[in-house]
Amino acid sequence: MSLPRAAMDFVNENAESNGVLAPGRADDLFKIGALDSFALVDFVTVLEEHCGISVPDADVSPNNFRTIESIERYVETRRAEH
Amino acid sequence: MSTKAYITGTGSFLPENVITNETLAHTLAIEPERIFKSSGIRSRHWADDATATSSLAVAALLAALEDARIAPADLDYLLCGTMTPDRFVPGSGAAIQKAADLREIPCLDIRAACCNALYALQVARALVVSGAARNVAICLAEIQSRYLDLNPEAATTSMLFGDGAAALIVSAEPRAGSLEVLDVLLATDGSFVDDLGVRCPGTAFQIQRGTGVPPVSEDQRGTGVPPVNEDRGGTGVPPVSASRQDWFPRMNGQSVILQASRRMVAASRSVLERNQLAASAIRWIVPHQANANLLAQVARGLGTQAEVVSVIEETGNTSSASMGIALDTLRRSQKVESGDYLLLPAFAAGFTWGAALCRA
Repeated sequence: MSLPRAAMDFVNENAESNGVLAPGRADDLFKIGALDSFALVDFVTVLEEHCGISVPDADVSPNNFRTIESIERYVETRRAEH
Repeated sequence: MSTKAYITGTGSFLPENVITNETLAHTLAIEPERIFKSSGIRSRHWADDATATSSLAVAALLAALEDARIAPADLDYLLCGTMTPDRFVPGSGAAIQKAADLREIPCLDIRAACCNALYALQVARALVVSGAARNVAICLAEIQSRYLDLNPEAATTSMLFGDGAAALIVSAEPRAGSLEVLDVLLATDGSFVDDLGVRCPGTAFQIQRGTGVPPVSEDQRGTGVPPVNEDRGGTGVPPVSASRQDWFPRMNGQSVILQASRRMVAASRSVLERNQLAASAIRWIVPHQANANLLAQVARGLGTQAEVVSVIEETGNTSSASMGIALDTLRRSQKVESGDYLLLPAFAAGFTWGAALCRA
């Protein structure tokens, strides 16, 4: 699966506002500056709204959202649990 | 007996010594611009080593009394909110009572960290509405700089904090420019008790029984060496299980950001809902000044066009005092108009959080 447009737009726009290029699928979003701790909170809300999942507070950690690929895997896992 | 309570006076005080990001950059090995970008802070005030927290509080209290146009003798209750008290016991309220020459009134310290202003407002309102007091002073003060870990590994926490004080007078009778305290909502979830705060001195973290009080050392600010870890000729015994880090502020940043942004928005919505108000009715948001990015996130979460009152760029996070300093700054700007609604959200160690609602 790939992430919905709204989620990708969020990451790309956040990257742009931080002066970095749109990330590739395997790029570390926190390392390159496409996400940070504050943006992650908003990003999780976008995922919940557009992927039909609920993200428990305990899962809101950079480790689950480090790359586009890992985010896709996480979303799939959450969907499968429902 | 009044059924309402009003903030009739506010005051604030910041120590003279300004610490810029550039000043901290070398000590903490962090770029000044990174501090600003991640927190919105450019400078903060740090008290000198001869100053006690109560002296900042008294300066703010005298300003608030003048603003409320009442005398120290008119106060019949004092609430003090600080997490950096003059002494472990008694509370700093007693020192404030003496220094401000107050009558022999009750003095109660509150230990809800960055939510101290909200807890004190709730208690003050209850005291006034119940008839137990007519004029309650709230003193909110911190000297946090003396307890910061000034080593680079603690940079992202230590860069945030400043010293300062604020005071509010809550009274039964309104006066020109006063704010009616309509409601205060508070909540706590202790499962996050170690995600934010300072552990020691605390009985959950042992020192050896019967060895007496650890020696008071000379000033060790910024050395990363807590006084208790020094052996002074056998009089000071290090804690058995407390680590060096337990004596300094600790913060799980991701947990704090997540919970703070969600809880402050939720509490704000709840307090608005139970007062039959829409977010659009709010003219001013006067939040605890934790981090500029967090303030923006809370405003976005509420979906309101209300103006967020921010003083953090020049004060840093002054914890207990921050909301009061922001409120005092707003009131003295003369921008508040009669009928304006003010929302005051906060989030603190515990975690505890809440929001107050006031009307000009």
